Amino acid sequence: MKKFLVICFAILTVFTALAKEKIVVNSYMSDPAPRKAFADLVKIFEEKYPDYEVVINTFAHEDFKTLLRTWLAAPKGTADVVTWFAGERMRYFAEMGLIAPLEEVFEGSRWENYFPTSFKSTCSYNDKIYFVPQSWYWWGVYYRKSVFEKFGIKEPKTWEEFLNVCETLKKNGISPIAIGTKFPWTAAGWFDILNLRINGLDYHINLTAGKVPYNDPKLLKVFEYWRQLIDKGYLLANHTSYEWQEGATFLFRGQAGMYYMGQFIKDVAPAEVKDDLDFFRFPVIDPSIPLYEETPIDGFMIPSNAPNKKGAVVFLKFIASKEAQEKFAKDLGRLAANVEVTPPDEHAKKGLEMVLASSGVAQFYDRDTNPEMAEVGMNAFIEFMQNPSKVTSILDKLEQERKRIYSK
Amino acid sequence: MKRDRLTPYLFVAAPLCMYSIWVIFPILQTIAVSFTKWDGMTKMKFVGLENFKRLVSDNYFGLSLLNNIKWMVGFVVLSIPVGLIFAMLMDQKFPGHKVYKSLIYLPMALSFVVIGQIWSWVLEPTGGVINTFFRFIGLEQFAKPWLSDPKIVTYSLIMAALWRQIPYAMILFLAGLKNVSKELVEAAIVDGATPAQRFWYVILPALKPAMVIAITVNIIDSLRAFDIVFVMTRGGPYYSSSVMANYMYVQAFHNYRMGYGASIAVVQFGITLGFIIMYLLNVLKREERE
Amino acid sequence: MKRFSKAFLFYVLSTLIVVIWMIPFIVAFFTSFKTMDEIFMLRNFWSPPRNWTIENFKIAWTEGRMQRYFLNTFLVTSISVLATLFLSSLSAFALSWYNFKLKTVILVIFVAGMLIPFQMLLIPVYRFSLATGLYDSLMGVILFHVAFQIGFCTFFLRNFMVTIPTSLFEAAKIDGANPFVIYSKIIMPLVTPAVAALSILEFTWIWNDYLWSLILLQSDSKKTVTIGLTALQGQWISSWNVIAAGALLAAIVPVTVFLIFQRYFIEGLTLGSVKG
Repeated sequence: MKKFLVICFAILTVFTALAKEKIVVNSYMSDPAPRKAFADLVKIFEEKYPDYEVVINTFAHEDFKTLLRTWLAAPKGTADVVTWFAGERMRYFAEMGLIAPLEEVFEGSRWENYFPTSFKSTCSYNDKIYFVPQSWYWWGVYYRKSVFEKFGIKEPKTWEEFLNVCETLKKNGISPIAIGTKFPWTAAGWFDILNLRINGLDYHINLTAGKVPYNDPKLLKVFEYWRQLIDKGYLLANHTSYEWQEGATFLFRGQAGMYYMGQFIKDVAPAEVKDDLDFFRFPVIDPSIPLYEETPIDGFMIPSNAPNKKGAVVFLKFIASKEAQEKFAKDLGRLAANVEVTPPDEHAKKGLEMVLASSGVAQFYDRDTNPEMAEVGMNAFIEFMQNPSKVTSILDKLEQERKRIYSK
Repeated sequence: MKRDRLTPYLFVAAPLCMYSIWVIFPILQTIAVSFTKWDGMTKMKFVGLENFKRLVSDNYFGLSLLNNIKWMVGFVVLSIPVGLIFAMLMDQKFPGHKVYKSLIYLPMALSFVVIGQIWSWVLEPTGGVINTFFRFIGLEQFAKPWLSDPKIVTYSLIMAALWRQIPYAMILFLAGLKNVSKELVEAAIVDGATPAQRFWYVILPALKPAMVIAITVNIIDSLRAFDIVFVMTRGGPYYSSSVMANYMYVQAFHNYRMGYGASIAVVQFGITLGFIIMYLLNVLKREERE
Repeated sequence: MKRFSKAFLFYVLSTLIVVIWMIPFIVAFFTSFKTMDEIFMLRNFWSPPRNWTIENFKIAWTEGRMQRYFLNTFLVTSISVLATLFLSSLSAFALSWYNFKLKTVILVIFVAGMLIPFQMLLIPVYRFSLATGLYDSLMGVILFHVAFQIGFCTFFLRNFMVTIPTSLFEAAKIDGANPFVIYSKIIMPLVTPAVAALSILEFTWIWNDYLWSLILLQSDSKKTVTIGLTALQGQWISSWNVIAAGALLAAIVPVTVFLIFQRYFIEGLTLGSVKG
C-alpha cells in the first residue's frame, strides 16, 4: 500500500513538472450559469495562449468572501488571479499592499481605450489601477410579466403606486416582495435604494464612508419607509431562512410578486420563466431627489503574493479585451465593462438606458463601506427587519460600532 | 539499565513531536495572540487585556455564551435521560434489537455537513417535514419558522445535534448496563421491589460511572459546538444562534480580528478546561481503584 | 403472558422510535430521486417522488465532481488512519509499560489535547501550513489529522494495553528481547481488537471532517467530500434534489463502513468514552 502511494506521488510530481505554465484563478462564480460562462472564456484563452494552463478554483460565494483574505495575507501566495468587487472592498486590500497595481495590463495602451473613464476611480487606489472590471449590472425591481398582467398591474412609478401594487398582490394571496436574507447582503440592497431615493447620493456616499452617524434623523426616515413594508406584511415570510436564490424561487413560481435584485437574478431563473421576467426602476419616493441607481462592478485583481504574476497579467489583458468581454456579457446578459461592447440583448439595453438616465450611481453597501462596518451594518438591517419597533436602539448600537471602527 | 530508562522516551518521541507542532504550540500561540490586536495581515500589536475587556461588554459574545449554556442544558437534560431510556429499552434483548440499534446509531456515521443539510429540510418553514406535519394534524399554530425566528433557532439546532448525540449517550449507557449485576436485580425481584424501585435503587447506582462520563462528555461537546451552527445558520439571523466557537470563527476569519477571535477561543478553552480536568480526575481515579 | 406483553411493548416503542429517527433519512432519500420540476413546483418533503430519476446522482457525481473528491478523501482518510494508529501505538506502548518521570504529564497532555476546542488551533495551524508550504496539499491535511488524533488514540490504546497482564511483558524482558520486538511481536498482536475498533472510529471521523479541509485546502482538485458537498450547496442552492443526492453520496462510505464494522465502532466508543 505504502509503496503504491509513493509511486503515485512520484508520478504526480513528474506530471506537474512537465505541465504548461500554470495560472491559478480563484473564483466566486459558483452559480451554474456564470461558472460555465467563465469556464468557456478560459477555454478560449487557453486556445489563444497555448503556453498557459488555467486552473479555476471555484468557491461558494460566501466561503470565498471569508477565504480571500487568508489567501492574500499568506506569506506564500497560492492564487495568481482572484475575482472581486470594485470600490471600497478592493481598496481595503490595496491600502494594505495585498494586491498588486496593474499598470502592466494597460501597457502600450490606456485605460480609456478599454473602459469608461467613470469606472476609473472605483477601480483605483491612490491613482493606481488595481482592478480589471469584467462586467457590471444594475439593480431593479424584478417581476413576472404574466403575473402583473393577470392582476392588471402596471409598473409603479411612485412609492404610493408601489404600495398599491403590494396591496393588490397581497389581496390575491401573493407575497408582494420576495427576499432571502440568510446571508444579509440582500437587505443591504433595500437599505441602499431607500437611502438613495430619500437622501440622495452625496448623503449615501458620506454614510458609507463612515462620516454620518447612524442615528442621524435623516437616516431614521429610511427605516420608517422600510417599516411600512414590514408592518403591512409585504415581505416574504421567514425570509431569514432562505438564501437569495431560494427567495427567488418564490418569484419564479409566482408565489411572490417582486424582487429588488441585481440583474444576476436571471442566472438562476429556469428557462421557462426567464423571458417572463422583467424589471422596473425602483419607484420615486421624494421627487426633489434625482434618480440614483446601484450598479456594482465585478472583475479581477492580482494578489501581491501571486506566484505567476506574468501569467496573471497576460490573463487579465485577455479579460479586458473586447472579445472576452463581449463573450461573457453575452452569455449572461450583463453589461460588459469594455467601451466597445454594446449591450448583448434587449433586456441589457433597457438596463443600460435606465442607468444612463440616472444622475449618479453607487456600488453597493458592502462594497462602499469598510468591511467590518458592513458586517455589523447588514446584520443590524436584518435585526431591524425582524424587530422594526426596536429601530432606535438598533441604530444607536450601530452608531457605537461606527465610532469604534472609524476611530482607529 | 541506563538504556532502559531512555527507551520510553524513544517510543514517545515521534508522536509527541508531531503533537507538539500541531496541537501544543498552536494552543500557546493562540493564547499569545489573544493579547494582541492583529488583522492577520499587518503587524501584530500588543494590547494587553483589551480584548478580554471588550468581550465583557460585547453583547454578541454574551449571547453566544448564553447559547452555549442552552446547548449544555439541552444536551444534559435531553440526551442523558433519552439516551438512558433508549438504552434500557434496547437492553431487553428481544429478537431484532440489533437492527433497531443499528438504525438508531446511524446518524453517528454522518458528517455534520450532511446532518445540517438534511435537518434544514426537516425544519424548512414552507414544505419542511415538521411544519407539514403540524398543518396536517390541524395544529397550524405550531408550524414555526424554525431556523429564522431568533427566539427558537438555537433550540432547533440543538434538536438536530441531539439526533447524533442521543445515540452516543445510549451507547455509553448500554455499556454501563452490562455492569449491572444480574444477581442484584434478581434479588430485588424476589424481595418484591417494583420496577421503579429496581431502577432507582439497583440499576441507577450501578450506572453512576457511565452517567458521570456521559454528562462530562456531553458538556464538553456542547461547549465545542460548531459545525451544526456553521452549516445550518452561520450563527444567524443576526447572531441569534451564534455560539462561542462560531463567533470566534466570524471574528477571526470573517472580520479578521485575529486577536479578538483568539481571546474568544481562550475564554472558551478556559471554561472547557474546567470540565476537562473534571473528566481527567474521574478517569484517573477510576484507574487507581482498579 | 407477561413476557408477551413486554415483547409487544418493546416492539411498539422501538418501532415508533426508529420510524421517527429515520424521518430525516427518508426525506433526503425521497428528495434525491425527485425531478427538478417536482422540487420546483411542490416544495414538499413528505411524499415519495412522482417520477423517480437518478439524474441528480449523475449531476452530483460528474458536475459536482464528487468522483474526484471521493478519491481525495479516501487518500486522506486511509493514510491518516494508518499513520496515526502507528504513531499512537508507540506512545501508548511507552505510557503503559514503562515508569518514567514525565509519564503522567505526557499522558495528561495527550488526553487534555483531545478535548480542547479546536478553535484554539485554527489560526496557528493555518499560518503554520502556509509558512511550511503544506497549505493546499493533501499532505498538509493528513499531517494535521495524524497529529490531532494522536492524543485520543494514545489514550485509547493505553487504556487497552494496561489491561494486558504485566507478567507477559516482564517475561519477555527477562528473556532479553529488545523493546521494539516486545512492542511488535508481543503487545501489538494482543491489541488487534482495540486497533480494529479504533481504526473504524477514526475512519468515520476523518472521513467526515469538514472544517480542516475548508481551512487547509483551496484547489478544486484537492477538495474532500464534505467540502465538495458544501460547494454543491453553494452552486445548486435551490436544486434540493441535487444537493440531497450529493449528501447521500457523501454519507454512503461512512455509513457502509459503520454498518459492516458496527461492533468495532461501538466497542471503540465505549472504550474510548470520548470523542475526538
